[in-house]
Amino acid sequence: MSELINITINDKAFEVPKGARLIDVCRDKGFDIPSFCYYSDLALQASCRMCLVRIEKMPKLQTSCTIICTDGMVVTTQSEEIEKAQRGMTEFLLANHPLDCPVCDRGGECELQEMTFDWGGLEERFTEKKNYAAERYLSPMVANDPQRCILCKRCTRVCDEWMGEDAIEAGGRGAHTVIGTYMGWLDCSQCGNCIEVCPTGTLLDGTYRHQTRPWELSQTISTCNFCSDGCQMSLGTRGGELKRVVARDRYVNGINGEFLCVKGRFGHPFVNHEDRIRTPLIRYKKGGKLIPTTWDEAIRHVAGKLDAIANDHGRNAVGVVGSPRLTNESLYVLHKFATELVGTENFTTTDAFSLRSFFANLGGPLATHRDIRHAKTIVLIGGEPEELQPFTGKQVRQAVRNGGAKLVVINSVRIRLVEQAAQFLHVRSGSEESIVLALAEAGSDSLAAQKAGIEASQIAAVRDLVANSAGDVVVMFGGEIGADAQAVLAQLTASLTKPEGARILLHPLPLYNNSVGAHDMGMDSGLAAVQMLDAAGGEIKALYMAGGFLPSQLEGREDALSKLDFLVVQELFQNETTAHADVVLPAASYAEQDGTFTNNDGLVQRVRQSIDPLHQSKPDWVITAQLAAELGLDFGYQMSASSVFREIGEKIPGYAGMRYPVLKDESNPVQAKHQISSDPVASQLSALRQRVENLPDTGEKNYTTIRVGHELFKIGGLTDKVPQFHLLASGNPRPETTRVSPLYQITVDGSIAKASVSGD
Amino acid sequence: MSTPVKIQPLSQPVELNVAPATFSPAVEAEIDRHLAKYPVARSAILPLMFIVQRERGYLDPAGVLYLANRLNLRITDIWEVATFYSMINTQAVGKYHIQVCKTLSCKIRGAGTITEHCAKKFGIKVGETTADGRFTLSEVECLGSCGTAPMFQLNFDYHEDLTPEKVDQILDALP
Amino acid sequence: MQIKAIGCEPLQLRRVHLGNSQRLDVYRANGGYEALKKVLNGMSPDDVINEVKKSALRGRGGAGFPTGMKWSFVPKDSPKAKYVVCNADESEPGTFKDRYLMERDPHMLIEGMLIAGYALASKTGYIYTRGEYKYLIDIMDLALEEARAAGLVGKNILGTDFSCDIFTHTGAGAYICGEETALLSSLEGFRGHPRMKPPFPAVSGLYSSPTVVNNVETLTAVPDIINMGGEAYQKLGTEKSGGTKLWSVSGHVNLPGVYELPMGYDDMEKFIMEDCGGMLNGKQLKAVIPGGSSVYIMRADQIIGKDVRMDYEGLVAAGSSVGSGGFIVMDETVDVFESTKNLTEFYKHESCGWCTPCREGTDWLVKVFKRIADGDGRPGDAQLMLDLCDNIEGKSFCPLGDAASWPIQSAIKRFPEDFRKRLVNTE
Ligand SMILES: Cc1cc2nc3c(=O)[nH]c(=O)nc-3n(C[C@H](O)[C@H](O)[C@H](O)COP(=O)(O)O)c2cc1C
Ligand code: SF4
Ligand code: FES
Repeated sequence: MSELINITINDKAFEVPKGARLIDVCRDKGFDIPSFCYYSDLALQASCRMCLVRIEKMPKLQTSCTIICTDGMVVTTQSEEIEKAQRGMTEFLLANHPLDCPVCDRGGECELQEMTFDWGGLEERFTEKKNYAAERYLSPMVANDPQRCILCKRCTRVCDEWMGEDAIEAGGRGAHTVIGTYMGWLDCSQCGNCIEVCPTGTLLDGTYRHQTRPWELSQTISTCNFCSDGCQMSLGTRGGELKRVVARDRYVNGINGEFLCVKGRFGHPFVNHEDRIRTPLIRYKKGGKLIPTTWDEAIRHVAGKLDAIANDHGRNAVGVVGSPRLTNESLYVLHKFATELVGTENFTTTDAFSLRSFFANLGGPLATHRDIRHAKTIVLIGGEPEELQPFTGKQVRQAVRNGGAKLVVINSVRIRLVEQAAQFLHVRSGSEESIVLALAEAGSDSLAAQKAGIEASQIAAVRDLVANSAGDVVVMFGGEIGADAQAVLAQLTASLTKPEGARILLHPLPLYNNSVGAHDMGMDSGLAAVQMLDAAGGEIKALYMAGGFLPSQLEGREDALSKLDFLVVQELFQNETTAHADVVLPAASYAEQDGTFTNNDGLVQRVRQSIDPLHQSKPDWVITAQLAAELGLDFGYQMSASSVFREIGEKIPGYAGMRYPVLKDESNPVQAKHQISSDPVASQLSALRQRVENLPDTGEKNYTTIRVGHELFKIGGLTDKVPQFHLLASGNPRPETTRVSPLYQITVDGSIAKASVSGD
Repeated sequence: MSTPVKIQPLSQPVELNVAPATFSPAVEAEIDRHLAKYPVARSAILPLMFIVQRERGYLDPAGVLYLANRLNLRITDIWEVATFYSMINTQAVGKYHIQVCKTLSCKIRGAGTITEHCAKKFGIKVGETTADGRFTLSEVECLGSCGTAPMFQLNFDYHEDLTPEKVDQILDALP
Repeated sequence: MQIKAIGCEPLQLRRVHLGNSQRLDVYRANGGYEALKKVLNGMSPDDVINEVKKSALRGRGGAGFPTGMKWSFVPKDSPKAKYVVCNADESEPGTFKDRYLMERDPHMLIEGMLIAGYALASKTGYIYTRGEYKYLIDIMDLALEEARAAGLVGKNILGTDFSCDIFTHTGAGAYICGEETALLSSLEGFRGHPRMKPPFPAVSGLYSSPTVVNNVETLTAVPDIINMGGEAYQKLGTEKSGGTKLWSVSGHVNLPGVYELPMGYDDMEKFIMEDCGGMLNGKQLKAVIPGGSSVYIMRADQIIGKDVRMDYEGLVAAGSSVGSGGFIVMDETVDVFESTKNLTEFYKHESCGWCTPCREGTDWLVKVFKRIADGDGRPGDAQLMLDLCDNIEGKSFCPLGDAASWPIQSAIKRFPEDFRKRLVNTE
């Protein structure tokens, strides 16, 4: 609690923290201050001149966004003089504005429109010719109507400060200033945050042009179903269709503020895609066709087959596999089905890598994204958050740029975050774990350095940085870190020396929206999905899957699935896995059900039903429960997700006491209490030392330059259904004209759609 | 203190698929001299733009790419700066750029007649370039020759106390 | 084109008529670099600043801020590098004095910057010259080479342990880059947008280090202040406005040019009618803009028979200000509506576009001027323009907005007839 000072606003006295910004204070105390360019945690602009106030003993009106409160300050926020000035600014902004609200996608959500409306009684004195500027597309995702721009430059600042891309800027001068890019085509990660923060209809969602009026959409707050950051978002739906996704603070106020990435913001059209599987399907004989059937028939068929196989070959002959995209509810019920009903040891998830060993040895709390933003030292071992967990990437960037944090990047390639790094340890690919070893035991510095192809002093320097950190330390790691190294890393909280009062927080970087939840619900048995495939036809005769395998997992194992006696898959779309399935069951997407995801902070966040399940689809846990009932075990959830979650709150220690009502406010999320362990990791440490010693100490380093989007734009099972992503995946070519969407100009040939999958 | 010739991976317009411009060792040395003046390479952006313009006629995509590499900046950084300054041309201009000062002191001493005379002489309007690409005619703001009005700047040369006759002498004598 | 002193011995213009006046040897043969010697042998930085304070020298760039005081704001103890930046962007319409100082006497500027550098413990100086003045940059570069070769610029100047290097820098066509913070943005390689003040450049300027930005004429005054002593220099002028001032005279006079007058020269009428050779073709004086386009325009009857004193206080009393000393004389043939339109077009063209009122306001005002000029004036237009100016003045991010409104406000107030006759009802 910082020192308090006295200030007077509109004749009322207040105590405010020293160093507080006047505009924030006024608003906090309930005095409305209009503004356009001010945006908290972005560089000051002070250009819109809307936030004018009168401060005693100061000449002329002052912009409250630039004033730091001082003791005894006397402020007036409302007077004739101030209103005239503010109306004057609005009038200036409207002078060249097209006033085409009726055809503007931002109509009803536009800050300029609202401000004008609130003033009321605005006579239009501008009778001159307006400076015309034509509408255009800046990319498949971003549409642009330059004439509506008020040059608050929020867009250029988020592009630079949040994304570190600086892809969109102001060109020209004076009245001819225009937001854009060189040659008018936007080559960036297409996050669309510029659209989000735009107070007017200047930057527009290119996938939502003239779809609905914003006020016709019903807004449902939910959690993103792509990466493990768990951004909060508002699903805009109308007539059973998901029309758009925003993080606009008027609807939703989550950990991510108004931030979203290209997938979260533009990846949603898969939900209503025509290729969604519509009914249960049965393939009565191998090699035959999948034939539509009823739910009753399908459930009966599956139950019969699984029962028979379990009886003939033993319980372990039935494998159960769940996707880390499912809700905690579905994964919990699936785990219960596998362990309590089938009683098999062969169950797991299709996740790309396991965090089992990390959580088993967790030595300290998980870092929240807030912790990351305010951390003073960040050590990133492997991983590439700016492409795989973009919100984490943004938090790291801002911690460095706005918070003065020191970033250490340990990676085999020069990822983009290196631009913010105080230290970059460019290691040989595959040698990331050696640094974990060295950080845990200084004795191994030279060994690790030799294997990684760096100087031992560089590792010592990292240790010093941590030891002298000005505040909390966050250690992040990606999929390069294996089981033994994960255990050792999880105990760095103990093995690293840190300054008084500073905490060492851990932040895993799994790839999926519910990777952590899948672990917490017990589905991460330690078996890798590929092990299941390799056992297919051998120990495992039947697979019951909620979500198919990743193409990368099937690679080189093409015939594994056909070796199974019986394969059941719950899916949204047909894919390589359903191609071999004997029964395919239509699953509901995240937008069609209630539930929870647990993100890489350990935050348990709500997923809310925004539309009815499409066609005959059902939430995965409902299907599993019906199957269980058919097999004679009634889980007794009366078809309500909240009752499933209540059971999770009772059975899963880290979730003790959680209920949906406890999770209802997305602005203060609840963190799962993962068990903290201080058990020694000596065995894993020596195992790790062995692994490191066996690493080659020769070999070229990777010097390829990372292009923005190289992971984000890879086509996955869901983004495959969004044509715009195929344009991005094929290099975001500039169309003939930028006046119409490139979608109508460039036909994406199917081969691009087959690009490999990662992270999605 | 020259910076590595490496393109920042970000924000490189996809359709900018031209090779960066290249310059003679003499020009490169001149560029190095400018870079050496400043603790931060970016400070040299305007001097370098003038050099690229001198060498290539205007700041073309290849020139933009060269600057991005040389200063280790993003293409948008070059673009936002180039379009702010009225002396940086992102479009081609004539071999001879006639810039008549139109601001008050010149105006009241007859700048208008000088502009008209040039326009008539070449049959072009202000802002246009002659078909043969030799002359571009512009009106510009105060050039600091108010005491010797009217005047124009021909490329970088000041010509002052102008009369139509004097204009003819100057322009007709050009190679 | 006249270049001469009136009512005082030429000080700044002392050398301009010598042959090869821009050469080092000529400069030295005529007292050049003596002040630098004097400073390096026996004056402390504070001594220098005190002399400048005593001289009552006020910034010649337009704001007229006391130079000595500005220098004293630079934190001596700051570990950061400190910079001296010469503002040679000279773009204020009607102003062309800096140009002749640099063209004829470049070493005087170099010496002034070196002394400033010594006073502020600065090792680096930049001369930011408007891009159109390319030939001046070449002259300055030559002079700097001469000075470097002679050990006057660079390491261990004149064998002392004082080192200071000076470089030229080019602008590229942007009036706003004359505003000191915009100049610094531009010098750092960015768009020429002004920056927030505070922090002031003296505390956090170029590369966020302590920086003093001074106009050419301000810096060229420094050697003489050191040579003759601050008091003596101040006595050349008045108590609050010390020394002499260069006036760039243009428009309808017989002898336009650069005139050096003592501060407080006591009769503007005489200055126009005699010193500047009187009105061109014997026409009647109608209006004068005495301090560059950004100051209030004056009516003839505010000047004729009014003994207007030509210094900061005198001109304010007479209803305008010194500004940059760009003295524009207009005769009866000038239509003040037209002249104001011309200047408003200038400000619109030069508005950097950062802030709403200046960007949109100047654009709007130009449109109104054009419409009126096209014969579609309306009775309410004068009021409208005044109200728009009021919404710009004092609301803009930097003073350019104010500079754009003052000419209009004063023109409408002082020459209503030139507007009224156009604002007839078109219905
Ligand atoms: C719009 C604007 C344009 C300016 N142009 C110039 C200029 O061309 N030359 C100059 O010396 N000062 C100019 N100034 C004043 C500078 O901001 C600054 O006050 C001056 O360079 C300080 O030097 P001085 O104290 O020696 O006058 C301008 C100010 C503004 C607001
Ligand atoms: S007043 Fe505003 S727009 Fe005008 S020059 Fe200054 S900052 Fe730029
Ligand atoms: S919010 Fe203060 S100027 Fe824009």
